[in-house]
Amino acid sequence: MTSRRIVSNEKTLLEKDDNNDRTPTASEKSNITPAVPAAVIMKLLGFTAAMVGGPIGMYFLTLNTVFRGNSTWAGATAAFTANLVLIAYVIVAMKEDQSDQLAAGESAKKNR
Amino acid sequence: MAESETAPKFAPFFGMGGIAFAMIFGCAGAAYGTAKAGIGIAGVGTFRPDLIMKSLIPVVMAGIIAVYSLVIAVLIASAITPDKKYSLFNGFLHLAAGLSVGLTGLAAGYTIGIVGDTGVRAYMQQSRIFVGMVLILIFGEVLGLYGLIVGLILNTSTGEV
Repeated sequence: MTSRRIVSNEKTLLEKDDNNDRTPTASEKSNITPAVPAAVIMKLLGFTAAMVGGPIGMYFLTLNTVFRGNSTWAGATAAFTANLVLIAYVIVAMKEDQSDQLAAGESAKKNR
Repeated sequence: MAESETAPKFAPFFGMGGIAFAMIFGCAGAAYGTAKAGIGIAGVGTFRPDLIMKSLIPVVMAGIIAVYSLVIAVLIASAITPDKKYSLFNGFLHLAAGLSVGLTGLAAGYTIGIVGDTGVRAYMQQSRIFVGMVLILIFGEVLGLYGLIVGLILNTSTGEV
């Protein structure tokens, strides 16, 4: 996809040179937004951080405060936290696809 | 670390072995799962980029396998100190805990890798397979969780010398 985009950009530049700036391609803004929206990248980074820091953080957080040195329960809490991150990821992934469909539907309505 | 009949010099060797086995085998399984599922996601992503977010679930699950290993390794490591007596029984117990978590993690990671790779490729063509794929992945994941439960239970029966 990206290679195609570059080819079309070159064509518009050539057209710009031949004609003046009033060609429809020159007045149109080219789509320079990245293929993956920033919100998705932030979500993925958030889940990465939650996976790296969450469980082991919960282990050390609850070890001496909640469970008073009982490392078994603290370990179980850490494993539970890891599974919570997984469940949250599954829910977000399902919503992500639905929001994509909704956004596509809205843009289709706007284009009408 | 004083030496006695029940707490010989070499007892910590087995505990340390438990830590190492938990991390090495568990992370080997997680690495295989991530790599194999990643191959499938790369194959799916070129045709259906909108499915990437859902297809990443096996990778997250493989990450959890590594977390299980990490938890049991930290747990065992916190029980071994150079200034306390460490019995041979505790050493074998920690070895068993580490091996059970590590080797079940290897099994679970292997399962997640194969199911993830084939599952996301099938999901590309038939969207109904998603629920089944996630269910199979959870059943694979639970294998590692069983190992962790056994490891945690083993860890509760460590006693003072």
